[in-house]
Amino acid sequence: MDKRIVYTQDDGTVAVIVPTVSVELALKDVPTGKEYHIVDVSEVPSDRTFRDAWTWE
Amino acid sequence: MDSGLMVTKVNGNSTSTFGGDVDLGANNLTTTGTLPAPDALSTASGSAPSYSARAWVNFQGSGTVTIRASENVTSVTDLAVGRYEVNFTNAFADVNYVCVTGLNLNTAGGGSVNYNRMAVSNPATTSKAYYNTFSTNAVLIDVNVNQLAVFR
Repeated sequence: MDKRIVYTQDDGTVAVIVPTVSVELALKDVPTGKEYHIVDVSEVPSDRTFRDAWTWE
Repeated sequence: MDSGLMVTKVNGNSTSTFGGDVDLGANNLTTTGTLPAPDALSTASGSAPSYSARAWVNFQGSGTVTIRASENVTSVTDLAVGRYEVNFTNAFADVNYVCVTGLNLNTAGGGSVNYNRMAVSNPATTSKAYYNTFSTNAVLIDVNVNQLAVFR
């Protein structure tokens, strides 16, 4: 699966949803009312050193 | 057909009657009605019943978070270092399900590299479970191999 769903959590940091089968099925896992974006996996950093500081712009 | 179909249970030599219909399709055998539940899985021994996992997942939590394999899981949500939610395809009837975890800091080996590492998972709602990985002193960490099986 080469797509991810990202949304901003209440604390301002980013949550990244990793689908098992399809993005469409995983959309139900976005919290109600949250704005989300579907992105390519290459847009998500693989270096997690500062993971807790990730934000979405 | 409207006559009963004799079904042999998978775990032994007892028999019971199934009164539903049988449809011999092109590639599949389908039935309607209620088949008698087996007393045990065919691979189980002893009299204690066997219960299968209702959901499970193996995912990578370091580098690019990736799901290696799963069943009854639509996604894993990466919330922060060592913090995840596992989202189920089919929700549970309640939050009394049981989460069993495993981890490995690296894909190869194990053993001493996993000392003082811990994975903790609990029901969050009927449709998702928390999954967190810790080092000593309750410090959240990322680990490579994360394993969760859910029973109910």
